[in-house]
Amino acid sequence: MGKLVEIEIPEAVLRQACSGDEAAQVVIYTATAPATFALIRRLITNRAMAEDLFQDTMMALFQRLADFRGEAPFGAWLRQIAVSKCLMFLRSPWHRARLQLESDGGAEFASSALITPAPVVEGFDVEKALASLSPTARAVVWLYEVEGYSHEEIARSFGRTVSFSKSQVARAHVRLREWFEPSGGDRAVSEEIPSGDRQTCTTIQSNSKA
Amino acid sequence: MHDDPEQQQGITISRLLRNLPQEIRQPYDWTEFRRRARVRLDARRSVSVKKYAALAAVLVLVIVSIASWVRIGKAYVSVPVAGADVSDDDPPILVDNVDARADAAERWLASLPDEPVVVHVGTRAAVAGLEDRIAQVDDLLSAARVEGAQPARLSALEQQRVRLVNSLVQVRYAETLVAGSR
Repeated sequence: MGKLVEIEIPEAVLRQACSGDEAAQVVIYTATAPATFALIRRLITNRAMAEDLFQDTMMALFQRLADFRGEAPFGAWLRQIAVSKCLMFLRSPWHRARLQLESDGGAEFASSALITPAPVVEGFDVEKALASLSPTARAVVWLYEVEGYSHEEIARSFGRTVSFSKSQVARAHVRLREWFEPSGGDRAVSEEIPSGDRQTCTTIQSNSKA
Repeated sequence: MHDDPEQQQGITISRLLRNLPQEIRQPYDWTEFRRRARVRLDARRSVSVKKYAALAAVLVLVIVSIASWVRIGKAYVSVPVAGADVSDDDPPILVDNVDARADAAERWLASLPDEPVVVHVGTRAAVAGLEDRIAQVDDLLSAARVEGAQPARLSALEQQRVRLVNSLVQVRYAETLVAGSR
């Protein structure tokens, strides 16, 4: 299981793909598609929209392949394309209108937002907690915590200030902690986690404290 | 790399997030990706073709409208110089003022012979019809002035007279041009 940013493609394959060799293009697609889709799904919880953005990203990848200079790892270059597409979507008025409609409908997050029904309880809970964040907060916290973006980079990507990024991360942390800490998270835990799993959550907490 | 301190006690959010799967099976394989890409490119092409077609149609419409407007405008205000001999070489003059144009038109009409050199039955009938209608409007105008009619009514009759005189000018001018070309 590799991170998108760590994926490297041999130069020969890139050259062949650039010249239209379909076999080489298949190699690139197969190597990058799972990590690309995972990143997009973390940022965009709506599956249909995520598939659309995945298609857009992969099309852009092959259209701009000749522009890749090899100055950064191939995965990092592709990640930039995917993140740009996702942020463009998050900033779009269409997306805002859709969010408004959903909030009017009273659904905080749909069950389809759960991305990986991981067998491990810990993984499952984190998915659920992550899905409970607002789209912007989720994107910011993911880019900061997992993709390693700095606050400055996030601020630039969103066209906002560094304080915006910092406050989004801080709020997201508070919200995420509520899912795991008995003191602040009783509500969330009792509402969302079956009683049989609570012990596991406590164990996770104890382990991380240790 | 991050300047935020690690979250207090309790679980490490970052660790939990980083432990989430970094790969998810893509929604479709290469063949399906290619098919969708083709569909999208076709749709984009079709949209851009339609966009350009619509733009071209609007442009043509605008050009045609402008051309017609200019032509109609010129035809409406072009009046030959009153009292002058009309020939092919004399371009019609443009008069902006409506009253002045009406006066000029009437003077020019008065300067024409009663009967053109070549008589066309169709145009003569049109000229006679227009002259009759102008005479009727003149009668109505006189009656209205005597009766002290509303200014709006007087103005409407005057405008109608101007329109009829203009039409007569156009027909007579065409007759003159035809006669001059023979």
